[in-house]
Amino acid sequence: MHILKKPDLSDPKLRAKLAKGMGHNYYGEPAWPNDLLYIFPVVILGTIGCLVGLAVLDPAMLGDKADPFATPLEILPEWYLYPVFQILRVVPNKLLGIVLQTMVPLGLMLIPFIESFNKFQNPFRRPVAMAAFLFGTVFTIYLGIGAALPIDKSLTLGLF
Amino acid sequence: MRRSLQLLLSSLLVLGAVFAAPQASWAYPFWAQQNYATPREATGKLACANCHLAKKPTHVELPQAVFPDEVFKVEVEIPYDTSVQQVAGDGSSTGLNVGAVVMLPDGFKLAPADRLSDELKEETAGVYVTQWSDNDPNILLVGPLPGDQHQTIVFPILSPDPATDSAIHFGKYQLHVGGNRGRGQVYPTGEKSNNGVFNASVAGTVQSVDSGENGGSVVVIQTADGNSVSDVIPAGPSVTVQAGESVSAGSPLTNDPNVGGFGQLDAEVVLQNPVRIYGLLAFFASIVVAQIMLVLKKRQVEKVQAAEGI
Repeated sequence: MHILKKPDLSDPKLRAKLAKGMGHNYYGEPAWPNDLLYIFPVVILGTIGCLVGLAVLDPAMLGDKADPFATPLEILPEWYLYPVFQILRVVPNKLLGIVLQTMVPLGLMLIPFIESFNKFQNPFRRPVAMAAFLFGTVFTIYLGIGAALPIDKSLTLGLF
Repeated sequence: MRRSLQLLLSSLLVLGAVFAAPQASWAYPFWAQQNYATPREATGKLACANCHLAKKPTHVELPQAVFPDEVFKVEVEIPYDTSVQQVAGDGSSTGLNVGAVVMLPDGFKLAPADRLSDELKEETAGVYVTQWSDNDPNILLVGPLPGDQHQTIVFPILSPDPATDSAIHFGKYQLHVGGNRGRGQVYPTGEKSNNGVFNASVAGTVQSVDSGENGGSVVVIQTADGNSVSDVIPAGPSVTVQAGESVSAGSPLTNDPNVGGFGQLDAEVVLQNPVRIYGLLAFFASIVVAQIMLVLKKRQVEKVQAAEGI
């Protein structure tokens, strides 16, 4: 397994690109100054505009005051924690739940090493990484939807 | 003498109130008002759900943002099939009534009549909105109203002005809305109404099903040790057990006549400062100008690069 991805300097086309200051850039423009100095600030300003617009038009809300004696009728974490919450909810054993929680970052750590030897960045030429990504995405969405359903429907999503 | 007269008069008054007060005027939200200081429990449950046990959908429509001192409307939709009928208190069938509660953020209140537009006056005609209590002008109640004409209830609301009231701030606030159709299943005292299932109080065999008072029925159940227990069922639900049938404790003796239900939901509204909108538009304009300038500068640099043969 190759850990470092090095440019193939014996490739004359790549050497010609590097000489023009374009490196791995595909669309034939030097990164400096065309991209970094001019287009990056356009995108940065657009992003700031979106954030400020949302902050003014749809400000964050203060919810109910915290009350340690009022347990909500439906216990749910923030939406981005739904999938891992669902793992904890459906697994019968606490230790198994902790093991599965640990598997999430461990699995993510594997990603840079899967098919890293493949010099193509085209995702269609990296089937293993692509399959792992698609399966992970679909499964995460499935777990997330399940977390918002009652426990008896959460695995089948009430479809079967 | 004076004392006994007082006693007599007051007891007469109480008796008169009990017998003379027609049941319909003891309107349903009134019971909740008497029993709860606020309609919303700490868990988020609205008090209506304590008596209206079935769950039915309720929708609400309101603007995303309002300016200070502005009249806007909150529309509560309580959809149901108007062709169905429910059982009334005496067991006969009638149409469903609807009612709604809206908990506004602090400072928001019912718009005064002179601020309403002609359109709003028309939409709110015949709807009498009451406050939850004198201290809570932001909690509004409506009902019971005949449901076939009022599946959508419009609340005209006046937003507060932070310029005149320093306790009010611009920002986003939460509303809690509940809508109900049909009679409840439980009275505030905990007694069952005749609009629900009646269950067997003991396990045993049904000895007989007799007709009781006011169109109701009495189910006599004989337990294993020979005692017979009678369960009184008022007019309304129809008895589904027959004599000779064995029942377990808690199993239903009747069908469920309830066709209504209660639904609640949370909504959000932004109290928006008009000055902020102008500032935001100016900021957007400056961003667009800066982006156009950057792209133009890039085109210029590209020409230089082409001339230099890069």
